[in-house]
Amino acid sequence: MTVYETDVPGVGKKYELERRGGERLVVLVHHDGKRELFRRPDDDSDSEKLLDVDGPNARKLGSILEGAYFQPVEADSPGVPLGESIIDWTTVEEESPLVGHTLRDVDLEERTGGTLVALQRGTHTMGNPDSDTRLEAGDVLVVVGSRNSQEAVADLVRP
Amino acid sequence: MSVLVQTGAMLLLVAVAGSLADRFGQSVIPAYLAAGVVLGPYPPTELFGFPTTFTPDEAAVTLFHELGLVLLLFFLGLHVDLADVFADARRVLSAGGIDLVVNGGLGVLLGVAFGYDPVSTLVIAGVVYISSSAIITKSLLDVGWIANPESDPILGTLVVEDLVIAVYLTLLSAVVLGGGTVEGVAVSLAKGFGFLAVVAAVGWYGTDYVERAVTTERDELLLLRVLAVTVLVAGLAVQFDISEAVAAFFVGGALAQTDEKDRIEHIMSPARDLFAALFFVAVGLHADVRAIGDALPLLVAAIVASVAGKLASGYLSGRVYGLTERRSARVGAALVTRGEFSLVLASLAMSADAVANGVAEFAIAYTLVMALLGTTLTRYEGRIAGLVGRHTDATTQSSAAS
Repeated sequence: MTVYETDVPGVGKKYELERRGGERLVVLVHHDGKRELFRRPDDDSDSEKLLDVDGPNARKLGSILEGAYFQPVEADSPGVPLGESIIDWTTVEEESPLVGHTLRDVDLEERTGGTLVALQRGTHTMGNPDSDTRLEAGDVLVVVGSRNSQEAVADLVRP
Repeated sequence: MSVLVQTGAMLLLVAVAGSLADRFGQSVIPAYLAAGVVLGPYPPTELFGFPTTFTPDEAAVTLFHELGLVLLLFFLGLHVDLADVFADARRVLSAGGIDLVVNGGLGVLLGVAFGYDPVSTLVIAGVVYISSSAIITKSLLDVGWIANPESDPILGTLVVEDLVIAVYLTLLSAVVLGGGTVEGVAVSLAKGFGFLAVVAAVGWYGTDYVERAVTTERDELLLLRVLAVTVLVAGLAVQFDISEAVAAFFVGGALAQTDEKDRIEHIMSPARDLFAALFFVAVGLHADVRAIGDALPLLVAAIVASVAGKLASGYLSGRVYGLTERRSARVGAALVTRGEFSLVLASLAMSADAVANGVAEFAIAYTLVMALLGTTLTRYEGRIAGLVGRHTDATTQSSAAS
């Protein structure tokens, strides 16, 4: 996308963004922080003003457009980004082969590459659980690791 | 009356005049000017039976007047960016050149045709030539053309005009201050350009130094430093018989080179708006409308000829930029507006003996009419185009204006 920048003396700066089909978006950044957004459908048409916003709101809008302001959360995988890693929750079902084994036996880190940071049992959360802890049905493993590690954990827990 | 009451009353009148103009979608500059004319000691001295003569403290008015003039030119200098001209030199200089030749030439012809002396003719040419950057930019924002291609030739033409003003003012003030003899003019020209060379050299080679001198974290200190430097340099210039306006222009130009340009603009704008408004009122206060009688034929001829002139030169400039006929016509319509610089010239003409009587009043009346005509042409361009039946591109609708 081509962006043209021009000074508008006494007003501020004008940015024109060229879009497909000859459409242009024109952003006018005033010296006082006000921003105006215009749209011109094609070369022959006049610009229509779409909105004007003040500085703080323009920045908020900008970061939303950029995808940096709100992190979209996917319903089926509530992950939080930690660089390459994510934190994921995996429930140990009743039929899981891990039920009854200690964490030392399971050796999750060696087998999946993920790190068990907490174990949730009912309303209780054990941070950095002891390796003698025996897994029970309904436990939730909170694991930090790459997506591959998270999949390996899910495979391991699955009956 | 105390100075405070007088100033307060003056500000109130400025505020009322500005609000009224804004209510009718007009520029505030002619409104301030008209307020000054009505309140001044010359006719009209009453309105609907009420006496309207208002004589504020002359020293205070002079100070407002001077500060307004200095700040107007300072901002002009701050905005002039040679990079803007050279970024698209061919088209910008063509548009600016057409504008200068057609409208400046028209001004000279008018002065000569009405038998004015060379100095007065030079003033008339300037008044007729220079479009109003302030009012036109505001109109472009109001009607939404700012986001259209026609804004390029319009703004390009204004940039060239701003550059020409610097040279023109230096020349004119040298001629006016030179006292009419060839020798006097030569001396004051040399002094003028010498002083400017010094300011320009400091601005150009001493950017780092200038920047360090004005830069400060605190906004109020930045405002004070910039104001102090500008007013002081302008004042010194007057001591050397150089126009304060030209000096202020170059101080603005020097500060425009620094990284603080945008901040200075932001911080200084309210000061400029205040003093510029008072400047316009002060120009009106000093205008004797009776003097327009002698210049009436010139006024009528100038209005007719220069509307046609700007429409034609603007249209040609639009075509140079490869715009459609409709958009090119808009370039002309927008540029019809005259404003602050024609008034700067009016104020210069008032104080100079070398300029014929009535020229200042001509400039004031002319600016009033042209500011109103220009903004009206811009605002109702859609309807006018419809009436004239020149809908060359039928899809074009002034949607942003509605």
